[in-house]
Amino acid sequence: MKHRSRVHVVGMLLLVLALLVAGCAAPVSAPAAPAGGAADAAATEAPAKEGGFTIGVSNTLVGNGWREQMICAIKAQATASGLVDRVIVVNRNGGPTEQIADLEGLISQGVDAIILNPTDREGLNAVIEAAIAQGIVVVAVDQAVTAEGAYVVTNDQVAYARIGAEWLFETLGGKGKVVEMRGIDGVPADTDRHNGFMEALANYPDIEIVAQTFTGWDPSTGAQQALDLITTTEVDGIWTSGIDYPVVEQFQAANVPFVPIVGADNNGFVKQLLELADEGLVGAAVTNPPAIGAVGLAIALDALTGKNPERVTMLTPELFDTSNVEGLQALYAPDEQVGWSTYVNIPPYTSYSGSADVSACKAPGE
Amino acid sequence: MTNALAATRTHPALRALLRNSWVLGVWLLLGALLLWYTTLIPVFGPFQITSITKNSLPLVYLAIGQAIIVIAGGIDLSLGALLLLSNVIAARFMEGQPVGVVAAIGLALIVGIALLNALTGYIINLSGVPDIVVTLATSYIWSGLALWILPSPGGGTAPEMRWLFTGSPSGIGGSYWPPLLMMLIPGLLVALWARTSRPGLTLYATGSNRTAAQLAGLNVRRAKILAYAIGGAMAALAGLAMVAITGTGDPRFAVGASATLNSVAAVVLGGIALTGGVGNVFGVVATGVTLIMLNPILIAMGVNSNNAQVIQGVLIAGVMMVGGLSAVLRERRS
Repeated sequence: MKHRSRVHVVGMLLLVLALLVAGCAAPVSAPAAPAGGAADAAATEAPAKEGGFTIGVSNTLVGNGWREQMICAIKAQATASGLVDRVIVVNRNGGPTEQIADLEGLISQGVDAIILNPTDREGLNAVIEAAIAQGIVVVAVDQAVTAEGAYVVTNDQVAYARIGAEWLFETLGGKGKVVEMRGIDGVPADTDRHNGFMEALANYPDIEIVAQTFTGWDPSTGAQQALDLITTTEVDGIWTSGIDYPVVEQFQAANVPFVPIVGADNNGFVKQLLELADEGLVGAAVTNPPAIGAVGLAIALDALTGKNPERVTMLTPELFDTSNVEGLQALYAPDEQVGWSTYVNIPPYTSYSGSADVSACKAPGE
Repeated sequence: MTNALAATRTHPALRALLRNSWVLGVWLLLGALLLWYTTLIPVFGPFQITSITKNSLPLVYLAIGQAIIVIAGGIDLSLGALLLLSNVIAARFMEGQPVGVVAAIGLALIVGIALLNALTGYIINLSGVPDIVVTLATSYIWSGLALWILPSPGGGTAPEMRWLFTGSPSGIGGSYWPPLLMMLIPGLLVALWARTSRPGLTLYATGSNRTAAQLAGLNVRRAKILAYAIGGAMAALAGLAMVAITGTGDPRFAVGASATLNSVAAVVLGGIALTGGVGNVFGVVATGVTLIMLNPILIAMGVNSNNAQVIQGVLIAGVMMVGGLSAVLRERRS
């Protein structure tokens, strides 16, 4: 018994060693030749292709509704375009370290294009440039990168705040006490939006900012701050950085008359603008579309099929206020959650049919 | 018992193999995974080898440090925070400096953070408070300090240092020899030192049975401080590797927290008993790389990335159960 088990152990060890040697030998024997050849092949092959593309997506914030919708918009547009065979999504929490590894993984997968929401403006440049050198089209969406040769698609955050603030100040007749409910201090999008807000404010000397809060883009935090403000301070108007429907709810809860409010294209807010207009709610939804992912994909496909799109695309936000009932009704998506971003169709880039397609979140072959 | 007797009668080389069968097993697992990965992607070449080795470096270093501490009977939840601290200090002060200054800062960081963590070991000895509590507390201190030194991502380092850890001055697509050697040399050195040197064996003795080690005349307090110092040095090295890979510093708490958890996972997978005194450091080099490789492999397999983490967890649990089962069987046989 004892003897036989020892024989087994020796046998197992030999097998282990053999596999180990095989495992180690493979990478050593493989390299040199294919690498250069593959890069050449990709460079010459890419423009000739007219469809059947593989698209890689890199995202590093999981569990965030906006980011999930961004990924679903990419998938929906990939299906709608008819040019994509496969979408590989790499989606995990992380910083530049993880994203560099993820991008290298996508390069190894032999994707034709990479769409990424970058964690860092400069930290990813080396890996992005390495991808471009291999003939891969790289599109950064939502946030910019400085890498040479990369396409960049962003929402104009300065204009987002300026357009909304101008509407608010105009609605108030250029005079009154206003609250600025910001996002997270120090985050680039928040800084840009604050700058846009201040730009608008400069033209309205009689508008007074009575309070400035940081909601952390968290609905419950924003709701609490709004409740405290409207029950203790005289407020004529509220500008929010996207925490909008919780604020309107606080007016209802505290039984305080509505004041003009600016929010984003969140489904819950759009619904309130439509349904509470009779009760005196005046407001405006400014778009900050996660469908920017789909725009990124459309640009990637344009680049792959030799249509030479612009390197930098900046989407200007649209404003839908309570007087624009038709516009709001077109946005409203009754089947979606309150946090759903309703502005999903971005002409001329997207070709899927509205929220239902994005919400289905199906890539080709899924 | 019978196993031990049987082993004494066999050839010494075979005996060494048997004793390190877990280490061999995890290296085999890594080899198999690599082989499998080559079949999943269109091209497997130097780019991929470099990518895997360099991206594994921070976790491998941290896991080696954690392994030494666990072997000595402790556990260090602050290693990830020390990685952050080393990362942000390096990024902040190395930016735009000549290579000599960068090297000096790097060495100072390794020595300084080793001393800092030795102090933690000393406090554990002195206070008698469990390791897990003291290091949890220090992890918050170091993370806070890191945020204070570098409030938001930024900074940089010299191209030479990036080359040392990544094989390329720009951090990508270079030769795989520098990162491979930077991984294997510290791994082998620490493993050999722990297995053959007098202080190294003291660590094993302390972790295995502190009282017995003390009665045998070993300085168990010094052993623990030494283990924490090595852990600190490895965490500093991990922080340097991270700066080299990204070219920037990142002070976010989550980076340190997940690094700590991964280091414990690598240690456990590497066959090092959390009860202390058992295991070989060289195994965690393989499991560190394995943990990093799981992600691209699962994605190459077309696993939905939202499910990838679940599968990763199930794999860890599965490997651990195989390990536990084999231990139970071995006990029953003897």
